[in-house]
Amino acid sequence: MPLALVARSGQALRLMAVERDAARHGLAPGMTLADARARCPDLLTLPHDPAADATLLAHLATAMHSLTPSVMPDPPDGLLLDISGCAHLFGSEANMVEKASEITALSTIHALACNPAAARALARHGTPAQRRAEDVAALPVAALDLSEEAASALRRAGLKRLGDLATRPAPALAARFGEGVVLRLRQLTGDVAAPLAPQPMQAPIRAEARFAEPIARTDDVLEVAEDLLRQVAAQMEQRRLGGRRFALTLHRSDGARRRLQVETGQPTRDPLVVVRLLRERIDSLADPIDPGFGFDAITLAVKRAEPLAARQTGLDQAEENQDNLQALIDRLGVRLGQDAVLRLIPANRHMPEQAQVQTPAAKWNGTVSFALTTMPRPLLLFDPPQGIEVIAGVPDGPPLRLRWRGTVHEVVHAEGPERIAPEWWRQRGGHMGTGAERTTRDYYRIEDGHGRRLWVFRRGLYGTQTTPAWYVHGLFS
Amino acid sequence: MEHNRNMESVSASILTTPAWRLRPALQRPVPVLAAGQVHEVHGQGDDRAAGLAFALGLGAANRSGTVLMVRSGGRPSLALYGEGLMLLGIDPARLLLVEAGDAATLLRAGLEGARCPGLALVLLESEGPLKGYDLTASRRFVLAAERTQTPVVLLRHAAKAQPSAAHTRWQVASAPSQPLAAPPGAQVRPPGLPALAVEALRWRGGPAGQTWHLQWDEQHGGFRDTTGTSNRSENGQAAPSGAVLPLAALRAG
Repeated sequence: MPLALVARSGQALRLMAVERDAARHGLAPGMTLADARARCPDLLTLPHDPAADATLLAHLATAMHSLTPSVMPDPPDGLLLDISGCAHLFGSEANMVEKASEITALSTIHALACNPAAARALARHGTPAQRRAEDVAALPVAALDLSEEAASALRRAGLKRLGDLATRPAPALAARFGEGVVLRLRQLTGDVAAPLAPQPMQAPIRAEARFAEPIARTDDVLEVAEDLLRQVAAQMEQRRLGGRRFALTLHRSDGARRRLQVETGQPTRDPLVVVRLLRERIDSLADPIDPGFGFDAITLAVKRAEPLAARQTGLDQAEENQDNLQALIDRLGVRLGQDAVLRLIPANRHMPEQAQVQTPAAKWNGTVSFALTTMPRPLLLFDPPQGIEVIAGVPDGPPLRLRWRGTVHEVVHAEGPERIAPEWWRQRGGHMGTGAERTTRDYYRIEDGHGRRLWVFRRGLYGTQTTPAWYVHGLFS
Repeated sequence: MEHNRNMESVSASILTTPAWRLRPALQRPVPVLAAGQVHEVHGQGDDRAAGLAFALGLGAANRSGTVLMVRSGGRPSLALYGEGLMLLGIDPARLLLVEAGDAATLLRAGLEGARCPGLALVLLESEGPLKGYDLTASRRFVLAAERTQTPVVLLRHAAKAQPSAAHTRWQVASAPSQPLAAPPGAQVRPPGLPALAVEALRWRGGPAGQTWHLQWDEQHGGFRDTTGTSNRSENGQAAPSGAVLPLAALRAG
């Protein structure tokens, strides 16, 4: 199936990128979607997402650091790599190219040249043969990346290739077509430097300790870990970062490795907090750490770091409480799993059991709160509701007597009904009202002779084909 | 001299004797869940909501901060309901829920919470016998709570009381409420505001053995002692002015 990404430009939807199969059908970026559909009726389209492209490019630029330290992203879809002095590490330039396309795992076009501007021009404007021959002179004048007017002026003068320009005297070209033409040309030929502004490589935040004699006790390991954490804290403080994920690797003397990883909800540089989390992690391990003949070395790496500015401590009690709470959430999350530490979040739904969700507290930092309702709502909710047998007035009287878990409750006080209809807009054909009389709920708040207050409901209305069933849905205090 | 010594002994006894013992009719103490102490709340299996409302209403409603609630797993079918909590004056955003698998995890997570400063309330909910909760474990809770000044409440449904270092132990059940005025055309009256029957099984330095009838005070929030007033109104007589709120009017307004 041919696939293309589309975006609105002006009044028309245009193709922004095409997949190889679509290109074979004669589609190209810039074509309107209507034209493309005429050529290829079974074209699949997806919206173009420039932000995701930029993220992917930044990610690839980071990945390219395994080839060379000097990498510059060339948006929207290019990467410039300075491989001077790196190629021999991979055997040859061809091996390196192969490695690079392996890392990207995408179909790529590459070009090699003696300066970045020429490589870029070859990759963007050259034919495969030109790219292989590194033949800059054969590139069209469009490779100069000039404005459309300048390029067409060059073409009108009969200058189609860069080679045609290179043979002309530069002052005459500058006088007629502007200085930009000459500058770009000299950058391509390497007469003028076109330096890269490489994306700086972030040094990994890590620390390591090696021992003359292996250590075996857990307390010793944690003591060393605290020392390592102090070292990485100093590194992070210089870069104004705080760690979110810490990985401690224990290298056993027989070569085996044991890796412990802890995560925090907020970026932190405090060694004691992380040591406490590590202790929790060690205590909660299903198979305890086996030191064997001891650990030779311990390394600590910060896998994920986020900006964290220096802060004045001990002034704000509320802030301190918040920190304490966050640390508590982290500790409990490490011990019980993050899915066991929850917060109640309102959900914008109609049915009572769907009106709230429980979200892991570590992942949720919002402040959305429930609206204060005037309707009676229970403190505890059965999910799913529990079936009961009821004697009630027809058609919409409250229950008079109910049997729940084998016990008969006489209803003394009752309030209702509060009708909660199903969400018809979520069902196929729901606006027709089909099935609504079988799933509509009438809620009653009742009190039995012992003072127990229950929230019961009848599912369905009397007068339909099926007999309505009754359920207990909640407990009031 | 003799006379003076008598006076001294009398005043000393007044100072040492709690006020409620001297004038029980006037100064009847109301149940409190003191900060920095451990409290146990017992209830029948069907009265889960009553015990929970008692713990939240007395322990958390008048304190700010996060409420940590540790629940033993296995009964996920009975969930806390946010809108119902709002009606009790507890913003669900203040709530941190922890699902603990077994009794040991429950106690451990609760102890973590009790040691964390700045929480409003630490609430542990369990059903049936709680393995591992004994004098030592409860003493650990007391020490942690004293340091952080957080009340720790153990909600124990369908459980027998065990010896422990708890400051108070309560038996809480739902009580018949003060029904609201019937709307026109209705045969039955709607149930009223939350009402609890509370008995202090144990209260160190307090009136252990007393019972209360607590009713939710919609105007001021929190539970209010209405012992002695509810029976009269149940018989259909007019309630004394000021003792019972005109509920129907409040609801309508």
